[in-house]
Amino acid sequence: MKSHDGRSAIDRQLVAVVDDDESVRESLPDLLAEFGFVARVFPAAEQFLVSDSLGQTKCLVLDIAMPGMTGFDLQRELRVRGLNIPIIFITAEKGETVRTRGLELGAVAFLLKPFSDTALLQALNAALGLG
Amino acid sequence: MANEFESPAEEIKHLRRCINDLVSVLALPAMWTGGSPTQIVGNSLDALVRMLSLDFIYAQLRESTGTVFTEMVRVGSSWEPKLRPEEIREKIQPWLENDPEKLPTAVRTVFENRAIVLVPLQLGMLAEIGVIVAASQRADFPLQTESLVLNIAANQAAIGLQESSLLTTQKHVASELDERVAERTRELATINEELRKEIGERKKREEELRLNEAALRLAHTQIAQSEERWRSVFENSAIGVALTDLDGQFIAANPVFQKMLGYTEEELAHLRFLDITLEEDGEANWKLVQELVRGERRQFQIEKRYRRKNGSAVWVRNSVSMVTGAEGRPQFLMALSEDVTEQHEDKVALDKARSDLAHVARVSTLSALTASIAHEVNQPLSGIVTNASTCLRMLDASPPNVLGARETARRTIRDGNRASEVITRLRALFTKKSASFEPFDLNEAAKEVIALSGGDLQRNRVIVKTDLGRELPRALGDRIQIQQVIFNLIRNASDAMSAVDDRPRELFVETEYNESGTVRLRVKDTGTGINPEIEEKLFDAFQTTKGDGMGIGLSVSRSIVESHQGRLWAVRNDGHGATFLFSIPCNSNT
Repeated sequence: MKSHDGRSAIDRQLVAVVDDDESVRESLPDLLAEFGFVARVFPAAEQFLVSDSLGQTKCLVLDIAMPGMTGFDLQRELRVRGLNIPIIFITAEKGETVRTRGLELGAVAFLLKPFSDTALLQALNAALGLG
Repeated sequence: MANEFESPAEEIKHLRRCINDLVSVLALPAMWTGGSPTQIVGNSLDALVRMLSLDFIYAQLRESTGTVFTEMVRVGSSWEPKLRPEEIREKIQPWLENDPEKLPTAVRTVFENRAIVLVPLQLGMLAEIGVIVAASQRADFPLQTESLVLNIAANQAAIGLQESSLLTTQKHVASELDERVAERTRELATINEELRKEIGERKKREEELRLNEAALRLAHTQIAQSEERWRSVFENSAIGVALTDLDGQFIAANPVFQKMLGYTEEELAHLRFLDITLEEDGEANWKLVQELVRGERRQFQIEKRYRRKNGSAVWVRNSVSMVTGAEGRPQFLMALSEDVTEQHEDKVALDKARSDLAHVARVSTLSALTASIAHEVNQPLSGIVTNASTCLRMLDASPPNVLGARETARRTIRDGNRASEVITRLRALFTKKSASFEPFDLNEAAKEVIALSGGDLQRNRVIVKTDLGRELPRALGDRIQIQQVIFNLIRNASDAMSAVDDRPRELFVETEYNESGTVRLRVKDTGTGINPEIEEKLFDAFQTTKGDGMGIGLSVSRSIVESHQGRLWAVRNDGHGATFLFSIPCNSNT
């Protein structure tokens, strides 16, 4: 597998996706691979926290409404642990308060499902300081 | 929305004000209980003029026939001189008359040389209750938030008006029924008493006849008098009385009976009662008469329709008994017949009001579901967009990744079907159609409702646990209506747990087969339980402890279940919360 920007597999960056919706977990990794990232998916925040991807994740694409730990809960937990992973929130719910809250808490971007591939790419570039 | 405000602070301030307004609007119905339509609407208009600083606001209320029976106007402090309702009506009448279902959202016009924006709001789903028109000179009127406040206030007023009209109808029908029952009871008692006396006297006379030749002549006179008295009762009775032979051929009919049907006694003598009974009512009627003739019953009551001589139908309530001759042999049939056409029409109107109410309940749950709908549909849409984008990128690569593209295209189609299924299910749930009783799988029905409520439950942090009976026989009923009931129960359970923070918010949905040939569904929660103060009135309409509820969910649910020959009830849990259960018959063919 080669990526479009010519980076080798070694320095391809890890993007983690946490979402309880299966269609997202199924579709996003292929798109992220097209962008040249390595993708890992998790159906729940708790599973991401105990995985060995935690330390290597360069960017986190995170759903908000999930049973158990929500996206906001995970964001808080990461901050408590001193892990400064850039977060891109994705949600199917419209609502200014949710958006404001997410951005106030330091998220890089806030994407409303369904979102376009370019919007995601822009958010990823912003998150990783590429550009 | 984003362009309406200069700064986020200003927008937040505006939204707060909007929320305050909404809270005030939602509090209005508390003041309306027992109020007249004029009070309800006047109250709403006062509140809206004040909240939204309107220049004026106008309302007209219509009867069910469409005629305007009252209109009123409230004028804001900045508008001079005062307005009369007729002036506004003249202005807006042309577009009100067009098509009430297609009211414009806002109309710019000139009123007394001032440019204003008029915003019409319909009362009732088809504006059948009336219309409210809000007016402001502000060019940007109405903002989205103002539209929201106006629409919710109009809905609240419409619900209040429907409630008030339904209560009036119910009271009216109930008191009328009471009166008629009392009247009829009095009449029947009088007739019975007279008849009993006459029969007693006749027996005595007959005895005397046999004893004494001389007494015979006297007795003849007395019997003649007795017959005359009996005849007098018969002729002057306030309700219809008819005698037929055992085949149902008319022998005699009193004036009330003749007048009710438009036939003379002579014409009736050529008819059997079945000839003038509506065909669909005849079979059951004849069966009862046969039972009477065979001595299997002493009398019966039936509500049925006669066909009058002029062809129109008349609803009657008949009490039919056997008149026996000597040695107790059956001789005549006697029918006491009362015209109940009006009561029937009232009942039909009441049934319709109930069914409309059920529909309102269904539509009102829509607002609660809106967020959930967006969530359920946007999830698959998200998958579709991502897969389709990936597919294009794979095809654009060199060389094109056809295998990958095919896989993502396949997923796109599957998610598309998923989104369309969600919409189909929702549409089915909110379409008004008459009930159709068919065998259906209660487990599948419950699963669908749980899936549809999923977004709501998730937001409310409710954990759903199901225990659906295996090899459950198919239930018999209207699947959509039963889903409506399940949806109501789940939503109530979820609401009852919204304030619970010291224990898990758990919702159990269980189904099982009952030995008695019914299937049962149970919705159990760990919420605040049943308030003892309203326990007895739990299933009454408009009984609610929720600030945003209308209190018709449970009452409608119960009437749905009862129309399925089923039962809906509630029990307190041993621990926290409550359990609501219903059982409905299974399909006997499974």
